[in-house]
Amino acid sequence: MEKEPKAKEGIKGWINPAKYRKFSIERFAWILMRITGLGLLAYFIGHIYETSHILDGKAVWDASLEMTQTTEGHIFLALVIGMCVYHTGNGIRLMLGQMGYGIGKPARPDYPYKPQSLNMKGKACIYATIGVAALAMWYGIAVMFG
Amino acid sequence: MMILKESIVMKIHYGTALGAVFLTVIHILMRMTQDFHESLQYENVIANYEMIGYAIMLELLLILISVHGFNGLRVILLEMKQGPTYEKVVTYGCIASMAILIAYGSRTILLTSMGMV
Repeated sequence: MEKEPKAKEGIKGWINPAKYRKFSIERFAWILMRITGLGLLAYFIGHIYETSHILDGKAVWDASLEMTQTTEGHIFLALVIGMCVYHTGNGIRLMLGQMGYGIGKPARPDYPYKPQSLNMKGKACIYATIGVAALAMWYGIAVMFG
Repeated sequence: MMILKESIVMKIHYGTALGAVFLTVIHILMRMTQDFHESLQYENVIANYEMIGYAIMLELLLILISVHGFNGLRVILLEMKQGPTYEKVVTYGCIASMAILIAYGSRTILLTSMGMV
């Protein structure tokens, strides 16, 4: 039987932002999408467990809520807001890209072989998404500490 | 090993993402209908669960995020390593984890909305 090809670098490959010897915002967006996705899944599992404490009565619910009502808890929740907004914004950009919007027209590959899809529109969307995520975190902090 | 075509799985991934975003906005807006800290008080949360429409929305949100989250995890794990056994373990592991999380979350929603607390 023919041997399956393997991604030799594994996790070391996808967490290295300078994999192709040059930092790019697209690669940073790709890594951040995975990190925020994993972070949000971990938060979601924790959230489902935390909310199940409602079944154990008021005292247990209040004790469990106490954990998020601290400065550290608020900072953690602000991070969750940031991850959520970034993951959503970048996800919408990727969906639009897969539908063919904003990725440019096909062209002959000439030196220096710049991909049409890695254009200014995409870069602007990534920077805007990071900016909106930061604003959402700031708003979340204002509500939680307010 | 394929249960569904990968193109169908990705359409489900995008569909669940859009649905989850919409319902998460409603879920967060519910906290904004009153003071944030007050809205999390035991009596208020119980009252939220007892609204049948809101309970159904929470159940839908639970399913959408679980499907999206565990499929995302499967995609990340398959990007890192490939192989027939590995892919089978990852796929079935993610489906099982998703089912357990949905069952656990549904238990909270059902029991609370039926006033069994």
